[in-house]
Formats: sequence, structure tokens, C-alpha cells
Amino acid sequence: MNTFFSRSNALLAFTLSVLAALTFLCFLSTYFRAYQADVALKTVTVVVKNVPDYSANREMNDLGYITFDLEADLTSLFNWNVKQLFLYLTAEYQSSNNKLNQVVLWDKIIRRGESAILNYSGLNTKYYFWDDGKGLVGNKNVTLTLSWNVVPNAGHLPNIFGDGGHSFKFPLDYAPSVRSH
Amino acid sequence: MAYIGEKLEQMFPTYLDYDGQRRAERLFHVIVILFGAVGLIWGYAIQQFSQTVYILGAGFALAAALVLPPWPMYRLKPLNWQKPVDYETQAATPNSNEAKKPKKKK
Repeated sequence: MNTFFSRSNALLAFTLSVLAALTFLCFLSTYFRAYQADVALKTVTVVVKNVPDYSANREMNDLGYITFDLEADLTSLFNWNVKQLFLYLTAEYQSSNNKLNQVVLWDKIIRRGESAILNYSGLNTKYYFWDDGKGLVGNKNVTLTLSWNVVPNAGHLPNIFGDGGHSFKFPLDYAPSVRSH
Repeated sequence: MAYIGEKLEQMFPTYLDYDGQRRAERLFHVIVILFGAVGLIWGYAIQQFSQTVYILGAGFALAAALVLPPWPMYRLKPLNWQKPVDYETQAATPNSNEAKKPKKKK
């Protein structure tokens, strides 16, 4: 505390300690939040094709094509310890190849300050709905779920499954696939 | 770096007396904690942690302005050093010479 430099050091170290304590209090104040919200999901178009999967083994695999409606108000998930939400839509189903299949079809980032009210209709998926065989055609129980990661300023990274999934069936017949050359 | 620091300290002395150091430390503790507490309450009220950090930063700036420069209020109680002994003039006086001689004989 005698020289300018020792005083700067003491002041900076003390301020950073206080900042760490404040950050910890911010984390504590939000630790017990549930981060749950209701989601309304509905499929509009449901089609399945059998086409060669050139990204994998070039064999003929099932490719689902769906459009969906999504309605959710996630405003209540934001608080002073939330920087952004990472939303992702998964399709979950059982097939003869695998007991559990989970395919991410769509995702979205909602940053702090942006509108967290989702109201989409007839939305296309962002990612291909590939099965690793013929598990989609005639599948009677495919469940869509919207989940989210809550990205905090400080603390853990909760992974939440939204309340309100939607189950649908794939048709028994393949839609005709047009080969392009 | 330490050498440069010493040189700067010699060119622009920034020392505080002991009492000034104690009061300076107390002052920045109070300011930083006060701004931190107010920032925490305000940030929680408007749910913006960035505001908490900015208010703490303001407290840091205020404390730095009040504590870092060697303000005169931290130099009110200087230490009473003994007057420097001038060895050359002391050696010339006969009294000091005589005082040392008996010690050598023992």
C-alpha cells in the first residue's frame, strides 16, 4: 500500500474478488429455476421416401420429409443469468435396427433481448431426417420434442425438454422420388 | 520492471504514511463493496447482470481516483525519523573519539 503500484495491485485484486463474489451470488439466485415452458407442436406434411444416402453408405435409406407448426412463449426462461437459449427439435422413434433413434431436425438460437415468442406454421426442417435403414416407412410412433440449452453467465448448462411433444405416423407407402441427373 | 518502478518512485514519490495507508485501504474496501452491493441490487431489479458489472467498475474508478494518487490527506502523520547522523563531522570531534577508545581496550 506504500507505492502507486502496490495500491493499484491491492485495489484491482480486491475488485476482482468482489466481482467473483457477485457472479457467484447471481448464479445462486437462479440455481433453483426450473426453466420449463409449454410447447405446441404439430406436423403439417408427413412424407417418406426411399432414396440413396450418398453421405453414408450409398444404400437406399428412408428419408423423412416433414413440415411442422411450432408455437411457444419462452420469455419466462430469460433472467439476469441467461445469455441465450439454444433450441433444438428432435424426432424420437423406435426401429428394427435401433431401440432408440434421435434425430435433430431443426434448431434456433434466441439471444438475450430478442423476441422469445415463437409462432411458426408450415416450417421446413433444417437438417435431413435420415434413417439408417427402413425404419421410417409405416412407423406408427414418431415423437417430436422441442428441447433447449440455457446458456448462463455463470453456472451450469441446463438441458431442458419442453412440455408438450407431438407424435405422428409415417405413411405406409413411399412417396415417388424424382431422380435428377 | 521492478527497477523501472523504483526509478519512477524516486522521480515521483507516491508513498503514504502508515496511517494514510490504513485509511486508504479502508476507503477502497468500503467504496468497492458499497458499489458492488448497490450494483447487485440494481442488476437483480432490472435483471441485467451487465449493469452490476458496470456499477462495480464505476466503484473501481472512484476508488482508484481517491486512493491511488498520494493525496495530502494520506500524509498527515509522517513518521518522526531521528535526525540523520553526519559521521564525518562526528569523527572530527574529540568526544566521540574518546568514547570509542575505551571500548577497544576491553
